[in-house]
Amino acid sequence: MVKSELIQRSPLRILEKSINGGLGKGNIAFVASKKGVGKTACLVHIATDKLIRERNVIHVSFAKRTDHIIRWYEDIFNEIAKKRNLENPLAIHDEIIRNRVIMNFNQRNIDISQILKSLDAMIVGGNFKADAVIIDGFEIEQMSLEGLKKIKEFAQKLNLEVWVSASLKKNDLTFDENGLPYELADLLDAIDVLITLKYDEQNIRMDIAKDRDDGAFHDRHLFLDPKTLLIIDSEF
Amino acid sequence: MSLEKKLRNIGISAHIDSGKTTLSERILLYSNKIHAIHEVRGKDGVGATMDSMELEKERGITIASAATNVQWKGTPINLIDTPGHVDFTVEVERALRVLDGAVLVLCSVGGVQSQSITVDRQLKRYNVPRLAFINKCDRTGANPYKVKEQLVDKLGLNAVLAQIPIGLEDKHLGVVDLVKMRAVYFEGDDGLIVEERDIPAELKTEAQAKREELLDALSMISDELAELFLAEKEIPEKLINAALRKGVIAREIVPVFMGSAYKNKGVQTLLDAVVNYLPAPEDVENFVLDLDDNEKEIPLKSDPAAPPVLLAFKLEDGQYGQLTYIRIYQGSIKKGDELYNTRTRKKFKVGRLIRMHSNNMEDISDADCGDIVALFGIDCVSGDTFTRPGLNYSLTSMYVPEPVISLSIEAVDKKSSDNMSKALNRFSREDPTFRSYVDDESNQTIIQGMGELHLDVYVERMKREYKAIVKTGMPQVAYREAISKKADFDYTHKKQSGGSGQYGKIVGYIEPLSAEGLYEFVNEIKGGKIPTEYIPACDKGFKTAVKKGTLLGFPIVGVKVTITDGQSHSVDSSDMAFQLAAIGAFRQAYAKAGPEILEPVMKVTVEGPSEFQGNVFGSLNQRRGVIVSSVEDGNNSQVEAEVPLSEMFGYSTALRSLTQGKAEFTMEFLKYGRVPKSIAEELIRNYQEKK
Repeated sequence: MVKSELIQRSPLRILEKSINGGLGKGNIAFVASKKGVGKTACLVHIATDKLIRERNVIHVSFAKRTDHIIRWYEDIFNEIAKKRNLENPLAIHDEIIRNRVIMNFNQRNIDISQILKSLDAMIVGGNFKADAVIIDGFEIEQMSLEGLKKIKEFAQKLNLEVWVSASLKKNDLTFDENGLPYELADLLDAIDVLITLKYDEQNIRMDIAKDRDDGAFHDRHLFLDPKTLLIIDSEF
Repeated sequence: MSLEKKLRNIGISAHIDSGKTTLSERILLYSNKIHAIHEVRGKDGVGATMDSMELEKERGITIASAATNVQWKGTPINLIDTPGHVDFTVEVERALRVLDGAVLVLCSVGGVQSQSITVDRQLKRYNVPRLAFINKCDRTGANPYKVKEQLVDKLGLNAVLAQIPIGLEDKHLGVVDLVKMRAVYFEGDDGLIVEERDIPAELKTEAQAKREELLDALSMISDELAELFLAEKEIPEKLINAALRKGVIAREIVPVFMGSAYKNKGVQTLLDAVVNYLPAPEDVENFVLDLDDNEKEIPLKSDPAAPPVLLAFKLEDGQYGQLTYIRIYQGSIKKGDELYNTRTRKKFKVGRLIRMHSNNMEDISDADCGDIVALFGIDCVSGDTFTRPGLNYSLTSMYVPEPVISLSIEAVDKKSSDNMSKALNRFSREDPTFRSYVDDESNQTIIQGMGELHLDVYVERMKREYKAIVKTGMPQVAYREAISKKADFDYTHKKQSGGSGQYGKIVGYIEPLSAEGLYEFVNEIKGGKIPTEYIPACDKGFKTAVKKGTLLGFPIVGVKVTITDGQSHSVDSSDMAFQLAAIGAFRQAYAKAGPEILEPVMKVTVEGPSEFQGNVFGSLNQRRGVIVSSVEDGNNSQVEAEVPLSEMFGYSTALRSLTQGKAEFTMEFLKYGRVPKSIAEELIRNYQEKK
């Protein structure tokens, strides 16, 4: 398969369709689930899809080391290349690395403004024109509506989209009747698109719990393959 | 316990400026070999003893590794001083090869920095057991606890505190030994008097907690200790020491010691730890390759009666001639013994045998296995193996990277020119990553090495040690050429100008090699279209052709040549004819095979305060760098990038001015990468113009 075909046939096109043509610059999407369901894989797949389409992505993480995040990207890319029998994977891989920057923050209790300041240094100071920012692993207890608004303002100013993962901690009663996580209730106003991940028998189901002003919108066409953690559409 | 069981061969590995030289100096002092302490950058102009070269004194860094013998409480220790700068990594790696253990020195303020990571990776590669020493606990901002966490997080080491500090910064007085549970103070002039007292009341709880952590870690290593620990019984000191030693030698644990070499704190306790926990030569298994038996690995015996196997790991040009540092891996040697150099296949006699103390030497009559000593007047290069005549053994070849940068040099006068040749000859014997040759076309002398600083140091040494004044050209990057697609050739070499003619026809194709291979030749000719006797000539011709590409004149790498057909002539064909046909065939196909230029890409790590991040990102981006990651940790940030070497010239100056001198960078060779088209075109244009 050549690259253009791969892009066209990516299940992420279906995701884009389900959220009315994609997230769009200046907007914030959340991917929420309990721990260990596949948020990082899902975000890395979304990022990889953008990278293959020659967009620039900054991946913000809060891990101790960056090598395992790089390994996530390697794994997801290899899975895609293998599954779609991608032509010339090495050259595309090189290109992906060129378009991706990983920014890792080690300190505890880091503040949103500090992250935005560093992102600004990378994008403006470093002349790295990011199209999307992935924020993976930020504790939701530390996220405030105000902080989220700052992110939104930043996304609008620099014309980029932001994808955030949210790890849901409470064990029972995670989601309300509309499929919205209770823990994100205070933040909903500033979230443009909210995707939730849940175990559904064999698969991991992706639901679009919020799409801008439309409320719940359960167009269930997407799943995560539990083995590779790739996003797949239901026909597979 | 036999003598060699007591011997220690250790190295001190560290980030530049973490106080390694000061620490070495103190070790020499406390082992009573020297009587005065000179600071590395001291005002008295004497300089530290380990930095034997003048240049090192001036720069305050250590360049060559000298082996020094000291005694600590009856145990002989060979101290191998390893250079800290990444540009000299081959020297570091060569020193590591002969070490049995290492002390990883870290600064209590700076912690684990990019260079510590490089140095630690090298220690890992050579499986060197290590202790950590957190130095400079007297500095403002000292935090050994943080550094210990970094050893765990950044280096992935199972680091455990074996000591905790008594006071930090200007109140740093000594350490609490968590094994003995005693406070240790260093008193008197130069901290020579070591006093053990009760642990100060305010540190008791802390010490108890950290001791628990230490014992918890050790219970994974020793079952006996684990039982006592779980039963909450008293654990004898001897058992703790045995478990620590076992864990360190198995590389399962890294005990952390601390102090301030400059303020004379914690050095003696570190020496105790070296003796207690680092392995003796016979605790470490080494192998030799039998060249007569398909390079089969043979384990070496720590037996003085076994046939001798020695490695020449370091050459030095002293006032009295060439000094060769050797490590005896097996057997023993004495004056007058006959040895055999397996590379040159020459025998030689052991003349003077020397034990070194930095610049002073001591004549000895014999040396046993495990020891590191020096020989005088041996003709060899570093990396040679010496054995008893009749044995054809070689110690595994040390990993030597290919040089990535070259520089043309020209002596200013006749005298300098003579001295320059002497110097070049010497340096290339001492350092396998340093090479020199005379370019056929320009007739210039070219030196090659691992980085700008690496070559700078040698140019300086030529001036200082050999009085050879040279002018240098612009540094030149070692490019490579490669092909990007398959291309066919069908070439006939024909010459008939009276006498016997030349005739050879070769048909086949060239294609890129998928793996990191350099060159491969495949013969698929059936039915003797080219007689078998001419096939090696074809191979030779192709090999000649890949030595020099047509784009920039650099070697071509990663080519697979397959020949499928051809023709010969009963009278006119010859080896020469087929060689020339192969060269012609290759050139024909090369132009069609999408030739590309590859350039060395360096892994660059920049560290500095976060406030300058934007400038750092910008400077790397400007240099065609790919920023792989950036890690922020409090006010400090570390940026990792892949940058073409050709863009890195003068980066240290640029970085200094962009960050008010507060950021530093390291770089090492990573891979060869494709040069972007626009730049490749310019390079080719320049090359064609020069031609």
